[in-house]
Amino acid sequence: MPVSVPLIPVESAPLAELATANQDLELPVAIPVAISQIATPQGDRYPLVLQVFCSSFVTIFLAELGDKTQVTTLLMSAESQSPWVVFAGAGSALVLTSLLGVLLGQWLSTRLAPRTLEVAAGLSLLLVSVLLVWDIIQS
Amino acid sequence: MDWHLLGLSFITVFLSELGDKSQLATIALGGSSRSPRAVFLGTATALLLASVLGVLAGQGAAQLLPTRLVKTIAALGFAVLSLRLLWPKPNSALEFDQGNQGNMPAVDDRKQ
Repeated sequence: MPVSVPLIPVESAPLAELATANQDLELPVAIPVAISQIATPQGDRYPLVLQVFCSSFVTIFLAELGDKTQVTTLLMSAESQSPWVVFAGAGSALVLTSLLGVLLGQWLSTRLAPRTLEVAAGLSLLLVSVLLVWDIIQS
Repeated sequence: MDWHLLGLSFITVFLSELGDKSQLATIALGGSSRSPRAVFLGTATALLLASVLGVLAGQGAAQLLPTRLVKTIAALGFAVLSLRLLWPKPNSALEFDQGNQGNMPAVDDRKQ
């Protein structure tokens, strides 16, 4: 992974400047800059981008394991002679649905008050959690 | 390249995934997070990995997964994220807390 260090020395730069430098960078490069922000006076902060990535990844991955989409992919690739074509089709569909999801969420965040959005998002995640529990009971 | 199979798998998965719980979760995470790009990368990677495992299992290369256990952990994870959003702590350093107290510049890659 190519890592470009910000031009501003980490020790002397105000955090605001670092954050500005951070915004112009693509994500894989931005992570090392974000890690430098752990050393706040509070000293208890994880890199935000990494934290979001990990929590999204782990929850969605576990929820999707054994879900109907994965079973569909499994059956289609078992039936066909070319499993990687099935993966290409399924994979692009999954990337597209998650892109649409994030864009829709972002659009909603420009329409709703922050607190309303938080409550709505919290309730949605609670619903997802309940749906998963329902799946467990049904299976 | 078998375009018919490619199109079939794309449409099947796209339609079954549209409005499904993982997309609902993605909307919720993407809307409430300060770094929607990280949410997108996280969810897309997770979905791709789950689908790779589906393909491998279809080829008989993987064993059956302990689905109930895995789903229980996922349900707990979503419940925790949900509670964080519904009851944010005043001085919380958590990402899913919109109330940045001003002592920390936001890592905000949201395109306004």
